[in-house]
Amino acid sequence: FGPTLSLHPLAFTLCPLALHQLYYDPNIENKNLAQKWLMQAQISAQAWQFCWALLRPDKVPEIQYFGASALHTKISRYWGDIPAEQYGTLKTQLFSQIALFASGSKIVLTRLCVALASLALNMMPEAWPGAVGEMVRAFQEEGGAADGRARCLALLELLTVLPEEFQTSRLPQYRKGQVRGALGREWAAVCPLLQQLLRQPESPAPVKARALKCLSSWVLLDVPLSESEGLLEAGFAALADPELFDTAVEAIVNAISQPDSQRYVSTLLKLVPQVLQLQEQLREAVQNGDMETSHGICRIAVSLGENHSRSLLEQVEHWQSFLALVNMIMFCTGIPGHYPVNETTSSLTLTFWYTLQDDIMSFEAEKQTVYLQVYRPVYFQLVDVLLHKAQFPTDEEYASWTSDEKEQFRIYRVDISDTLMYVYEMLGAELLSNLYDKLGRLLTNAEQPTSWQHTEALLYGFQSIAETIDVNYSDVIPGLIGLIPRININNVQLADTVMFTIGALAEWLADHPVMLSSVLPLVLQALGNPDLSVSSVSTLKKICRECKYDLPPYATNIVAVSQEVLIKQIHKTSQCMWLMQALGFLLSALPVEDILRNLHSLITPYIQQLEKLADETPNPSNKLAIIHILGLLSNLFTTLDITKQEEESGDSAPPIKSTPPQTGPNPVVVVLQQVFALIQTVLSKWLNDSQVVEAVCAIFEKSVKTLLHDFAPMVSQLSEMLGQMYSTIPQASALDLTRQMMHIFASETDHFPPIKALFELVTSVTLTIFQQGPRDHPDIVDSFMQLQAQALKRKPDLFLSENLDVKAVFHCGVLSLKFPEAPTVKSTCLFFTELLPHCADVPPVGQVVQDDGKLLLLAVLEAIGGQSSRSLMDQFAEVLFCMNKHCFGLLTVWLKEALQSPGFPSSRVSNEQKDTFSQQVLRERVNKRRVKDIVKEFTLVCRGLHGTEYAAEY
Amino acid sequence: MAYQLYRNTTLGNSLQESLDELIQTQQITPQLALQVLLQFDKAINTALANRVRNRVNFKGSLNTYRFCDNVWTFVLNDVEFREVTDLVKVDKMKIVACDGKNTGSNPAE
Repeated sequence: FGPTLSLHPLAFTLCPLALHQLYYDPNIENKNLAQKWLMQAQISAQAWQFCWALLRPDKVPEIQYFGASALHTKISRYWGDIPAEQYGTLKTQLFSQIALFASGSKIVLTRLCVALASLALNMMPEAWPGAVGEMVRAFQEEGGAADGRARCLALLELLTVLPEEFQTSRLPQYRKGQVRGALGREWAAVCPLLQQLLRQPESPAPVKARALKCLSSWVLLDVPLSESEGLLEAGFAALADPELFDTAVEAIVNAISQPDSQRYVSTLLKLVPQVLQLQEQLREAVQNGDMETSHGICRIAVSLGENHSRSLLEQVEHWQSFLALVNMIMFCTGIPGHYPVNETTSSLTLTFWYTLQDDIMSFEAEKQTVYLQVYRPVYFQLVDVLLHKAQFPTDEEYASWTSDEKEQFRIYRVDISDTLMYVYEMLGAELLSNLYDKLGRLLTNAEQPTSWQHTEALLYGFQSIAETIDVNYSDVIPGLIGLIPRININNVQLADTVMFTIGALAEWLADHPVMLSSVLPLVLQALGNPDLSVSSVSTLKKICRECKYDLPPYATNIVAVSQEVLIKQIHKTSQCMWLMQALGFLLSALPVEDILRNLHSLITPYIQQLEKLADETPNPSNKLAIIHILGLLSNLFTTLDITKQEEESGDSAPPIKSTPPQTGPNPVVVVLQQVFALIQTVLSKWLNDSQVVEAVCAIFEKSVKTLLHDFAPMVSQLSEMLGQMYSTIPQASALDLTRQMMHIFASETDHFPPIKALFELVTSVTLTIFQQGPRDHPDIVDSFMQLQAQALKRKPDLFLSENLDVKAVFHCGVLSLKFPEAPTVKSTCLFFTELLPHCADVPPVGQVVQDDGKLLLLAVLEAIGGQSSRSLMDQFAEVLFCMNKHCFGLLTVWLKEALQSPGFPSSRVSNEQKDTFSQQVLRERVNKRRVKDIVKEFTLVCRGLHGTEYAAEY
Repeated sequence: MAYQLYRNTTLGNSLQESLDELIQTQQITPQLALQVLLQFDKAINTALANRVRNRVNFKGSLNTYRFCDNVWTFVLNDVEFREVTDLVKVDKMKIVACDGKNTGSNPAE
């Protein structure tokens, strides 16, 4: 046939050899070679001939499979090769091969069926009207080698793969619609066949199983549910047969959950009693611990409930049967045993409860009230069931679980927690009082000993809700807090949940500070227990954050306990950091002299330790200790903020804060000044260690961010230190800190000169790095470009200075555009988009653009041409847009010159395409979005991706 | 087909970058690259649906919302994220959300 790749006429004789190599040769290179050759052979023009030869009965199944597979590839992908007059022959040949293989190898049979299915889809509807009818007739005729049963199974296989092949086929969109319609009409031929096979009592199980699979496959085409009613009935009957159970479940679930099925309400109503009838089988399965069966039945019930709750709720006269279905699902939710060890079914049901709730809540008020009367009690019951399922097993049992099972159980509890939180929307405050009553009864019942698991689950329920929902108006919280001390905390899990519950109530405590005295002692006590590290520290942090203005009376105590646990090293590093943040919040609300006193006692031991460490010769263990102490200070200063924040502001301008009247400098500044010399000593020894330098910079960065203009007294000495640091060993973190100070102090004439000097110094040092080869320092280049961009944004007149080599900075930028590190390239593009607008008002900038702007353009075009990642194209488009906007005349000339050279920026673009691109770009001086689209289009052409489905979906 | 919105993540972008390179150097065809990408969609959708249970709470004021082609979009202002470790504030946040259960339909189509 067509003009595809050509092989030697005898090439097919090599196929068996190549296949043998592919399957059995131990040498991977030979395997690869064989595979490559076979793939080429498969798409060659000769494949049409040799595939039939490979299918001959004297060949082994591997070879026959290759032949069948080659046929399918040719039909599905090279359909255009086949002249219309040969369709008939091909069809007849395929039919007879399928008939032959009906009692042959199963894998070859399936491939042949897929090939015939592909043929049918390509010919439908005009060239092969009534295709399915013909298939059915062809296989029902007596004769051939295969017996009736084998032919029947082959036919079912063919009918099963037909819709599947349609789902994966590459038909063009318009054909897809046509073929889908044609297939839908063919259902009329399939349906009675399946009906007959499923209903005949004498049909053997394999035939029934195959018929159910066929049904599964067809319902995905959205065939009308009403028409498969009878088939579904047969499917329900098949559930009693263990051999057919799984396939029947699949078919029923597929039919129920197809989107179109909601239109057939009367069929859905008929399905409800059929599902309810499965309850007996479900109970039995649960009793016998038959997880597969209970899982399957639950899937059916849930798919009906989940997909059709709205339609079924609306059938008011059938409310009782729907309620029965809901109760059946409730039974599945509460299935006995612990998830995931004794059962895995209950988790299937959780989304159903969301859906049902959503549907009820979306009714108009009057209707909703009626439904709520029926369903509120159901949801209260659900809460009980869920809290029961969330209970931990006995200690012994839990100890026997694997870590994987424990993790699954944790996930399951999170899902339950989410469900409870959602259910609260429907049940409201009454849910909390309900939980409170239960907890109260449990804790005050002197007769029955309570299990910790029960108490824990109830608290977990509270916590799930209080964590995200404002419980301010609930009147049971004081009672709950009153109950907490009555809990006999004899277990770590319980203690954790108590802590988290208190943490969840932090916002409530801020409005009810009197209650703080009853919970704080518990939290402080837990702080000393390493098993409760995460829960106790995070709870203290939440309380300190939310209630800082009410905590001063407790501050001494909190600081003392924290200090003790820090010294005893009870917590891991990250918890120590959180604890420091908590203390930062706590101290923020104290009078300045108290802050200083507390700070002094809190950090003195660390300062002494740091002094000692600074004297030692650097080694890995004292490095960790130093970083730990610096981290503690950073975290403390992150949250220690004595101003009251009025409003959060964006990145564009430094936030404005109102400072309460105070005397003397900010306590953080006092401390920073005291430790400054020490930090310098540490640095002098660790200057070439980026982690220590980072940790030092972090202290100042955090402080600058919190103190803002209060940081002013430190600016001069810090600038000097950073300059020294950077000149000795350049590190990115020093540049980031410089940028931060630039951002905050750009408009303060008093404090800016040291920053200006620092900026000029770091710029000249970085330029030296560029001379020596910047490729090893993409992080420095990234931070450098960000700093330059910040400078242009906040203080463009820095670029007027004689001490700044604008031309060199510009060239560094052009170099950096070619870096493979995406963040560096992004920062560099940002630098240029900040630079170009100053062409007119900053003469040195105008000059360098005029002189060397073409280099920038070439770099941008190269990147678009395929040298840079496709995800960065928007950034490059912005640079191009800026050039167009601010130096249009130059761009016009440069663009013309640049694109003239053949093969630039890619050998894949023609001169016409380049012309169109430059015209389009030059035309857009207002619409940035358009330029981005133009660049995106052009880059695809340059990369050979234009028009591919791969890039289209991007 | 699985949702494609995760292609625009660090992981998805890196994958596409590698695929682009392989296509440009003619080591694979765009068709194969597409298959890889579709496989990625499937895998990441399943992984995110089944393996992740981390939670972050946030609150803010809802500025705009829309539901179009089965995709919810919410624009929020002054959003506070609360995690155990930190409190993060952002001025503006856009949430794009699809029904995690309903991976049968494809919002990109």
